[in-house]
Amino acid sequence: MHEATPTSEVVDWDHLPGLNGQPLDSEQLAGKAVLVVNVASKCGLTPQYEGLERLQRTYGDRGFTVLGVPCNQFAGQEPGTPDEIEDFCRTTYETTFPMTTKLEVNGRRRHPLYQRLTAVPDAAGKAGEIEWNFEKFLVAPSGEVLARFRPTVAPEDERIVEQIERALR
Amino acid sequence: MTTTVKATDVRIGDRLRTGTGLELTVTRIDHGLLGRPDLLSFVEDSDEQWLKMPAPRDGKVELVSRATQ
Repeated sequence: MHEATPTSEVVDWDHLPGLNGQPLDSEQLAGKAVLVVNVASKCGLTPQYEGLERLQRTYGDRGFTVLGVPCNQFAGQEPGTPDEIEDFCRTTYETTFPMTTKLEVNGRRRHPLYQRLTAVPDAAGKAGEIEWNFEKFLVAPSGEVLARFRPTVAPEDERIVEQIERALR
Repeated sequence: MTTTVKATDVRIGDRLRTGTGLELTVTRIDHGLLGRPDLLSFVEDSDEQWLKMPAPRDGKVELVSRATQ
């Protein structure tokens, strides 16, 4: 049984830049359960987009959304332009969830969103750096960060689904 | 001009090139990645950039320049 990670970190969805460079409409995120995932197009884990999109279609009308965060900090596996990233996601995986512009998730220029997220420990109690592409954080409708899942935990893993279901009750 | 070296021979300060053409100057070497102890992770964590590049422990990597001692 996987337990939620207790945390006092609260996420603010205002002023997040969208993939097209315009600010994301915070109504796409505020008041929803959000699974935040740093994504990359040329990674061995890239097929996780399929499971992410299935989560979006299963829970999207119940107050849930995936938020994709392209990041090029892991072996440069997200090298494309915003248009290329969007085209890849839409045509290869038919994604419908919102995406930010490319963000830095580690290091001295880490985006403020990830400054909060990386303060949250995983189920093993380890906080800090994002390990690799497709690390996942579940944020409650209140903005509280509920749980952190490492990249090899598949999007539809029962531990994630259980936490989504709980967040939507 | 680059050469290849064994991943286990990489030292702090070496400059490497990733398969996608990015370069990093190694400031940290982590052992393992994604639960795989057969991998090494070379990280540049500097004012210039944060970039991670993994390599099999028994593999080779593209070396741009050796650390200056």
